[in-house]
Amino acid sequence: MTAFKKRLCGMTALVAVAATAMPSVAAADTTIGVLVPLTGELGEFGKIVADAVELGVTQINEAGGTSCGMLRTVIADTGGSPEQAIREATNMIDSEGAVAILGPTSGEMVALVDLAKRKKIVVMSPYAGTITLNEIGGDYVYRTVSSDLGDGAASGLWLTDRGYSSVAFLVQNEESTISPAQVARETLADAGITLTDYVVYNPGQPSYQAELISVISNNPDAIYLAGGQESGITVIKEAAVAGFEGDWLLTADLAVPEVFDAIDPPILNGKAFVELAEPDNSLPAYKAFAELMKKSAGKDPGPFAANSYDMVMLAALALEASEGCTGEALNSAIRDVSEGGTSVASFADAKEMLAAGTDIDFEGASGPLTMDKSGTPAGSYQIMRAEDGAWVAEKFYPASEFQ
Amino acid sequence: MTLFLQFFLTGIVTGSFLILATIGFSFTRRVEGFLNIAHAELLGVSAFTTWGLNVLLGWHVVAAAIAGIVFTAFLGLAIGRIVYDPIRRLGPSVLLITSVGVAYAIGGTVDALVGTGIRTLDIPLATSYRFAGLRITDYQMIVVAFAVIATGALALFLNKTSMGLAIRAISANPELAASRGIDVKSTSRITWLISSGLAGLAGVMLAVVATLSTDIAFHQILQILAVAILAGLGSLYAVIAAGLIVGVAMDVSVFWIPAGYRPLIAFAVVILVLLFRPEGLAGRKSR
Repeated sequence: MTAFKKRLCGMTALVAVAATAMPSVAAADTTIGVLVPLTGELGEFGKIVADAVELGVTQINEAGGTSCGMLRTVIADTGGSPEQAIREATNMIDSEGAVAILGPTSGEMVALVDLAKRKKIVVMSPYAGTITLNEIGGDYVYRTVSSDLGDGAASGLWLTDRGYSSVAFLVQNEESTISPAQVARETLADAGITLTDYVVYNPGQPSYQAELISVISNNPDAIYLAGGQESGITVIKEAAVAGFEGDWLLTADLAVPEVFDAIDPPILNGKAFVELAEPDNSLPAYKAFAELMKKSAGKDPGPFAANSYDMVMLAALALEASEGCTGEALNSAIRDVSEGGTSVASFADAKEMLAAGTDIDFEGASGPLTMDKSGTPAGSYQIMRAEDGAWVAEKFYPASEFQ
Repeated sequence: MTLFLQFFLTGIVTGSFLILATIGFSFTRRVEGFLNIAHAELLGVSAFTTWGLNVLLGWHVVAAAIAGIVFTAFLGLAIGRIVYDPIRRLGPSVLLITSVGVAYAIGGTVDALVGTGIRTLDIPLATSYRFAGLRITDYQMIVVAFAVIATGALALFLNKTSMGLAIRAISANPELAASRGIDVKSTSRITWLISSGLAGLAGVMLAVVATLSTDIAFHQILQILAVAILAGLGSLYAVIAAGLIVGVAMDVSVFWIPAGYRPLIAFAVVILVLLFRPEGLAGRKSR
């Protein structure tokens, strides 16, 4: 018991010292919730988003913070689960006082719509492309990435441009993959390309051989695979073993370098392409962000990093421009700072312009953020090609291609 | 016709994996008397242990797989002794609910240790073979072979060894078996070792054929339950039949209906069979 008491006293002292050594939370007046999947299949993306938001918050605070004070973040893991997202979001709002929740995935965003509107808290995502948000987004619910419909249009355009005469579709049974696949399918039908198979499959299976049998027997020129990493890797390997030698068009979940660790690069090199929403990396704002990311993290921005960085910038500028420090105030100003004024790309400049009474149009690293009525900006898309065990740029489709 | 037979052959492979995944679960149910929901997570423990030894430490895949199976077997034994034994007297419902908690604990630990993303073993791409126009890979053949070996070995153990006979006696009537001098504790320990070891073997097969993510193991629990319910939650031989029926039904169904309905087919088969045979394939008296 004495030993236990000593240990308890020691721990208490340690905690006290640690608490005094930590930066004062009181100095950070406004809380931003970062709600991302840090575990599970989408964990890689969640980490990219969280890191980019943290980088943005650092930049904002270095520029003097907002009129609502410095920003601080609270981060929670959703594990990819909408139920967990609701629990963590509720905790962030009620216990942490968050005025905005940034980073949920498609399914989580849809699940959070009711909570956001009821609690009057802005939720914003840098990668939730779900078309459900096209219907229910726009008030308290925003995103800094285009809708999945745009992904589908870009995929359809690419498959048409490549001149394939027959294509098979393998689509994971999730709303975020089915929506773009349907748009791509319509584009192919308009172009007169033969659709040999349209297979919707369930993820989490040890094998996808049954789903592949018909696809392989019809020997299409290319397979459009809208799937997650776990299912996608297995499908590609099993198709290669079954003798498929055509091309692949993969969706954004597979646009990660880990794909080449899991699949022998010769299977993919020159034959696999991946489509993802990607900012125009020739923009000065993107180059500045990429340089900043390289300096702080020692690596190039990952998928959706620019959208994530812009997301927190947009939230901070909306706070700066609004007349309050609540989610409601943020919601009222978010469109004002992203359309119809003088174009500006950095938070510090935008803050100065707002102080001078200038109407601003924030165009960040990911490009223009002017939103439609569903709170969704137009997007640009990049096709990447597998080459020597890495994804390299193949073709860029600017947003104007789809307007 | 060849296309249909290809679906059938793939169904045999799927069924073989389901047999491997379910047989330990069913064995636990038979001897320990409850549905161990955490069984599926043991597949993940074995798969990721094998992956860690093979990819991170550079072990040969066979050595890594053996170590993975042995580790999983002893982990299952430890969980049985530490978690389930002290609450056994509270009955199967409490044990079942506790096993859900154990599943979350194992899954969370694997999440924390393994991290995010996907993992694959450092093994060559499968090789495809053709027999009479039908295609099968070497890894698929390994899954079928291990299903045959595991079920055969377990049947021999239960029928031909004194420990196996003791386990059968305990599963039939624990009080009577104990009164006849059978060591209940040691048979329970052997049961946990065997059932967890079988989960370990299924986990290795999962790692060989699939791409691993930390939640893939838990995804298997519904199909394991489907096979176990169809089998009648008791008989080893019924598990074999049930695994093959569910596997073949799921894969052959893709010949006629969209693949997205495969899980529905598994449970449709279970419901159909139970309508006519509520006690499952094994029958009420079968053990």
